[in-house]
Amino acid sequence: MTIRRLRISCPHCGVRAVEEFVHGEIPTIPEGIVEPEARDLDRAFMHTNAEGVVVERWFHAFGCRRWLTLARDTRTNDIPDNRG
Amino acid sequence: MHAPERLHCTRIVATPTALDTAAWPGGAVVLRVAADEALVAAPVELDVVSDPHAIVEPETAFCGVWVEVEEALAFLERECDWELPTERPAFAQGAVAGLPVKLWFAADGDDRVLFVVPAPFVVDFVERWS
Amino acid sequence: MNEAVERLVDLRWPSQVKSAYDVVIIGGGGHGLATAYYLATRHGITNVAVIEKGYIGSGNSGRNTTIIRANYGIPEAVRFYQHSLEMYGRLEQETGRDVMHATKGLLWIAHSEAGVRQERARAEINTAFGSKTEYVDPKTIQDICPQLDMTGQGVWPIYGASYHPSGASARHDRVVWAYAEGAMRLGVHVHQRTAVTGFLRDGDRVVGVETTAGSIAAGVVVSAVGGHVTTLASMVGLRLPIRTHQLQAFVTNRYAQAFGPIVASSGLGVYASQPAKGEMLIGAEIDRAPAYAYDAGHSFLRSCAFRSIALLPFLRDLRVLRQWTGVCDMSADYSPIMGFTGVPNLLVTTGWGTWGFKAIPAGGEQMAELIATGRTPALIAPFALDRFANDRTMADRGSAGTH
Repeated sequence: MTIRRLRISCPHCGVRAVEEFVHGEIPTIPEGIVEPEARDLDRAFMHTNAEGVVVERWFHAFGCRRWLTLARDTRTNDIPDNRG
Repeated sequence: MHAPERLHCTRIVATPTALDTAAWPGGAVVLRVAADEALVAAPVELDVVSDPHAIVEPETAFCGVWVEVEEALAFLERECDWELPTERPAFAQGAVAGLPVKLWFAADGDDRVLFVVPAPFVVDFVERWS
Repeated sequence: MNEAVERLVDLRWPSQVKSAYDVVIIGGGGHGLATAYYLATRHGITNVAVIEKGYIGSGNSGRNTTIIRANYGIPEAVRFYQHSLEMYGRLEQETGRDVMHATKGLLWIAHSEAGVRQERARAEINTAFGSKTEYVDPKTIQDICPQLDMTGQGVWPIYGASYHPSGASARHDRVVWAYAEGAMRLGVHVHQRTAVTGFLRDGDRVVGVETTAGSIAAGVVVSAVGGHVTTLASMVGLRLPIRTHQLQAFVTNRYAQAFGPIVASSGLGVYASQPAKGEMLIGAEIDRAPAYAYDAGHSFLRSCAFRSIALLPFLRDLRVLRQWTGVCDMSADYSPIMGFTGVPNLLVTTGWGTWGFKAIPAGGEQMAELIATGRTPALIAPFALDRFANDRTMADRGSAGTH
């Protein structure tokens, strides 16, 4: 077990603890799903739920109240280019 | 520390360039809360920024209190886990005592720090000082 | 396994991996092993393999907080979990193993008028569908749990609660071992340290699995995988309404007094109980950003400790002994997903999120019946995967995302 704190680097405010941010997803629907109803179903409920690096949005609720985009590895919670 | 009092601010949303070059009222504290947004602790005229699409609105959702820098830093040492700015004057914002707090470190010679707290959190903020 | 465990269970490990089984179950946790157990004991189907990438019970079965309750929020769920709760009550008799089952009673506390309405509604719906739950006033709450601070440190006052007298707990690894032992005794193969790396296909149909121990043909493949189920499903192009979230919990050092019930608060997002060893076991809500990591966070400890002390001030004097993380397969409607997948010969039992432990007996029993008969039993029909396409989601507030 590792005890550690995930930190995110906000381009405006600087490096802050993850608790200052709200997580937001960038939904993806596979191109192979073409039929409109199937796309609607996928958009509403399905998730890629990637085990690896995902590009996602985070909202800096405690600071500038702006969204930022970053890549995070869901297997480790590492943020590859995290300046924190 | 005294209890923070209601601040009569102006919130300006405009292009970053327009905010960079704005002619703010003399002596007003200008908090650059985002690249395209400033919170000015004073009434501001509509034409203060050159951006024709700027939003300039009175903002009374915040309370503020000036604290002597020594007392402020002692509090921040305990209640803030991120790196504070060393230059003066300086603005910083983030979690302080678990609350979303904005800090204004006044220019050299004026050894005070302005704590700006959303009004609903003032009770909690005051509690953390005790 | 150590000697003490060997005395508790007689696990007959297979000497080799066969090239074909009637049923291959992916995932050697509670659900996978219970499915194998009931296939063997109820249906005489013993040519079964359970494929486990770690050791049995090393996933969420070993990382939960062992709460057994049936006080859910929708009729279909109350019926299902009540059945599971009753099966847990008979599990020691059925398996001949002591799984340390203990009925404790569960208080679900309301801190507001809205919370009171929710707990009254919970009591009504539980009672109507066969799971005893009653609304109790502060006086009764104090009788049940004298350690509660009824003022909630002046911030979260306790207005009332629903009381679920049959709320219970059991020892998680003993449940896993009891099912594994019973299944293996009847000839089920359990292969540990064997990971599934792909599926064998014949056209649309799944006809087996690729594993780190070679290819295995199968009449039916069942995924009983926890947090990693979407990764597995993606190998056959199957999309699932599942996101994987971390859920953390911790135990303190021993509390010298007996703490009888299980206490939960949706408002505070915490719940507490006392396992047999006397520690206090505290759990909270899932972390919001999806992740598969097992890292444990200091921020969780701080906020969870803060909130649980508001309810139970004596916790202030205890110390954190151990903290851990599970990776939960959270479904889009906070209800499980059991049954057919649309991919021929591939079944799933998933979406067990933060509520899987209590469902192990019924989940296993019902999945075994589905496999043996080829028909979905009525008890789990509402939880089929196609409910999402058919506008029949099972949104359950009673699920809570905590325990």
